[in-house]
Amino acid sequence: MKTGRIPQQVVVLSVIAVVVVAGFFGMRALFVPESFGKYGHYRADSVDAIRKLPIQYGGAKACAECHDEVAATKSQGFHRGVSCEVCHGPAAAHIEDPGTIKPTAPRQRELCPLCHNYSPSRPTGFPQILTAQHNPGKPCMSCHKPHDPVPPNAPKECSACHRGIWSQKLVSPHASLECSTCHEVPKEHSVDPRGFVVSKPTGNQACERCHSNAALAASAIPQVTSEHTARYLCWDCHYPHFPEGKK
Amino acid sequence: MDPSLLEPSTGYIYPNEYFLQWELLIVLYPYITGLVAGAFILASLERVFKVKALWPVYRLALLSALAFMIVAPLPLLAHLGHPERSLEMFLTPHTTSAMAMFGFVYAWYLLVVLLLEVWFDYRREIVIWSQESKAPWRYVYKALTLGATDISDAAIKFDDRAGRLITIIGIPSAFLLHGYVGFIFGSVKANPWWSSVLMPVVFLFSAIVSGMAIVMLIYMVTSWIRWKPIDMACLNKLGEFLLYALIVDFSLELLDFIHRLYESEESIHILSQLITDRLFISLVILQVLMGALIPIFGLVAARFGRLPDEMRRMIYFLVGILIQVGIFSMRWNVVVGGQMFSKSLRGLTVYKVHLFGLEGLLFTIGLLLLPVVILYVLVKLLPPWIDGQEDGALAAQPH
Ligand code: HEC
Ligand code: HEC
Ligand code: HEC
Ligand code: HEC
Ligand code: HEC
Ligand code: HEC
Ligand code: HEC
Ligand code: HEC
Repeated sequence: MKTGRIPQQVVVLSVIAVVVVAGFFGMRALFVPESFGKYGHYRADSVDAIRKLPIQYGGAKACAECHDEVAATKSQGFHRGVSCEVCHGPAAAHIEDPGTIKPTAPRQRELCPLCHNYSPSRPTGFPQILTAQHNPGKPCMSCHKPHDPVPPNAPKECSACHRGIWSQKLVSPHASLECSTCHEVPKEHSVDPRGFVVSKPTGNQACERCHSNAALAASAIPQVTSEHTARYLCWDCHYPHFPEGKK
Repeated sequence: MDPSLLEPSTGYIYPNEYFLQWELLIVLYPYITGLVAGAFILASLERVFKVKALWPVYRLALLSALAFMIVAPLPLLAHLGHPERSLEMFLTPHTTSAMAMFGFVYAWYLLVVLLLEVWFDYRREIVIWSQESKAPWRYVYKALTLGATDISDAAIKFDDRAGRLITIIGIPSAFLLHGYVGFIFGSVKANPWWSSVLMPVVFLFSAIVSGMAIVMLIYMVTSWIRWKPIDMACLNKLGEFLLYALIVDFSLELLDFIHRLYESEESIHILSQLITDRLFISLVILQVLMGALIPIFGLVAARFGRLPDEMRRMIYFLVGILIQVGIFSMRWNVVVGGQMFSKSLRGLTVYKVHLFGLEGLLFTIGLLLLPVVILYVLVKLLPPWIDGQEDGALAAQPH
């Protein structure tokens, strides 16, 4: 190799580098869709492509036209907010041709727990069960009508719908307290939770009746003076269903 | 028992915090990238700073870095579920997302730094092997020369200079690679366990520690398997650097800890609960005691104590293993620990490792073994051994 000449390695690597870079731009030209980035970091044409997809669902109102009885029942029950096709599957084709194409009716036990199995992330008051323990082996329909799911008898425990709070309280210092210590519960709340609302404590006296040092409470209950909180509600700092005191 | 019966969490936690989104695979990922960066930085010690004693492990360190580098993205790809989509981030780069830019950091490091360095380093041998070895291998080596068959003195000299230049570029790249991983965590400002400017630096030094230790282990194990004597000068030097890196790493982590204690932000209570309750074994016992303190004492004893060589080798070996356990625990504590406490700062959740599935233990073990297999192939192809040979001498012909 003479000095001044470009070394062979550099030539080879430059060729490869050019190929890689050209490959990169080639791939971009080939694979990046033309409309990419028109509106944002996505393919603008996908909007049209999605619009052209065949419509599978008939919509929440379409079924009532023919199944007015079922629709009427459901609109009075707890499932009034649940669309027919959530359980029966997409049924646009059925509306077009009700005689030959029939939607499935999910009669097995698997469907309902999708919404009703216990998960701490469900909203407060949502009716939940532990599927493995709730009347195992029997289809849900044998006791609950899917279009009007009233429980055969009103649940006795608040845990049926407030399991998260219930199980937290169970392991907290407040384990011995009934829910009704702090909440006034109308009997009908278990049957019609939105019609009969449970009261919630509004002022600190709800806690002070046990925790104020002026209260006539058992000595085992930790007590605080009026300086402990001057301007705040006790539950601004202590979660009532799982209060923490000693750090 | 049905896990939903007994609330696994303690205290108050938000509903979306019961289940961890980043599991074992995300623990594995920073661990493996750390090994890459560490092994590479070890190799560059020899190359750039001319630490001659490390010559016997130089090439082994490079090949190890390469083997781990090939595996590094796999945990992420498996975690995401749709590996083929990862190519999109190259084609349509999203410049304001650190995670999306990782592809480029990775490509730069693999293609421009590691592969090039290995190539320049082995080029002379590859050319010779491509002429001397037997049929199928001959073509493999021919392909590996990429057509550059000039091995005149001037060309070899150029290889050497190019290799050094790449290493010099490579050191900041290795810092970038692993600093980046720490950056990802350190920049999550909503998470008090992660959010810290020290995070990238701590990740970097723990990477160096784990990478040096793994090369030390690999060197010892391969020597034993090959019935070759271990070069004690090299091992002692390795142990010495490992000790320094470990002390820096441990001090940084301690600094981070003291800083948090002194700042005592509102998160301090839940974090101390996290440490004493959920992470006690993995942090206090595994990471601090077994992963840092015992290795520091062991290294001091083995490097500076008056011990027979046999004893030293034993200590280095044990220290190497302890450090791997410690650094893996450190990744675990960062990744899993950061998701175990509620952002309400009022409660803790729990995490149980599964055995099966993509995020499971078995899959993780598989991914951990994969670099060993790759390293085996690399070593067969490009033997790094220099048993008793002079600096710069040709390695034995492989086939
Ligand atoms: C144009 C009228 C019409 C509309 C609109 C309609 N259906 Fe039907 N549906 C029918 C008829 C007719 C039958 C057949 C009754 C029979 O065979 O006894 C039927 C049967 C069914 C069945 C019973 C299938 C079975 O296996 O027994 C279900 C479930 C059903 N429809 C669901 C729906 C849903 C959900 C919608 C709304 C998306 C809907 N239908 C809209 C006319 C309609
Ligand atoms: C919570 C899930 C769920 C929802 C919501 C639901 N269904 Fe059903 N539906 C079922 C199940 C389960 C069956 C099977 C009942 C049986 O076999 O006794 C069924 C059966 C039916 C049947 C056939 C048997 C019958 O009782 O006549 C029709 C028709 C029907 N549903 C229509 C509707 C329509 C229309 C709506 C919306 C207004 C609707 N369903 C909403 C679960 C649901
Ligand atoms: C798509 C989600 C969904 C599915 C599937 C579903 N439900 Fe429901 N269910 C609800 C909603 C929403 C409510 C109303 C909760 C409320 O009022 O807050 C409810 C309420 C109930 C209730 C409580 C009534 C009460 O006393 O509060 C029962 C019982 C019930 N469903 C049974 C069933 C059964 C049986 C099935 C299966 C056939 C089923 N659910 C499937 C969403 C669902
Ligand atoms: C043997 C009859 C039976 C079967 C089968 C059954 N349940 Fe229940 N379910 C009840 C009774 C009785 C209650 C009310 C008392 C209680 O809370 O235990 C109830 C309560 C509930 C509640 C609590 C909300 C409320 O209003 O009380 C839900 C949700 C519920 N059931 C869903 C289901 C689901 C989903 C299935 C199928 C997996 C199912 N049930 C199967 C009898 C049954
Ligand atoms: C059948 C299900 C069900 C049962 C059983 C039930 N609840 Fe509720 N509860 C609800 C629902 C649904 C809401 C949410 C109402 C709303 O959002 O408007 C609620 C709301 C509440 C609230 C909050 C009211 C507010 O204004 O935020 C309290 C307190 C409450 N329930 C207490 C109880 C207690 C105590 C019991 C047991 C004696 C109980 N509940 C049993 C369904 C139930
Ligand atoms: C020590 C008193 C106390 C007890 C016992 C108690 N609560 Fe409460 N609860 C409160 C207070 C105070 C609030 C209001 C908190 C707020 O407004 O932020 C509340 C709010 C609620 C709410 C609505 C807000 C939320 O957190 O979802 C529900 C639902 C509720 N309680 C259910 C229950 C149930 C079910 C039980 C029994 C298992 C129970 N509570 C026991 C004091 C109590
Ligand atoms: C009926 C009496 C009663 C009422 C009302 C009551 N508590 Fe308590 N509280 C107790 C008892 C009993 C304990 C448990 C003492 C023990 O640990 O033995 C307790 C414990 C506590 C603790 C200490 C927890 C710890 O870590 O030691 C706090 C904080 C607390 N409650 C807050 C509240 C708040 C806030 C309210 C109002 C929402 C309230 N309590 C209402 C009886 C009550
Ligand atoms: C500004 C926040 C705040 C408010 C408001 C507040 N607390 Fe506390 N509370 C605390 C803290 C913090 C502690 C722990 C203090 C400690 O360890 O000394 C505590 C401790 C307690 C304890 C445990 C004391 C012990 O000796 O174990 C009780 C009981 C208690 N609070 C009740 C209440 C009651 C009742 C109210 C309402 C009248 C209330 N707190 C309001 C912050 C608050």
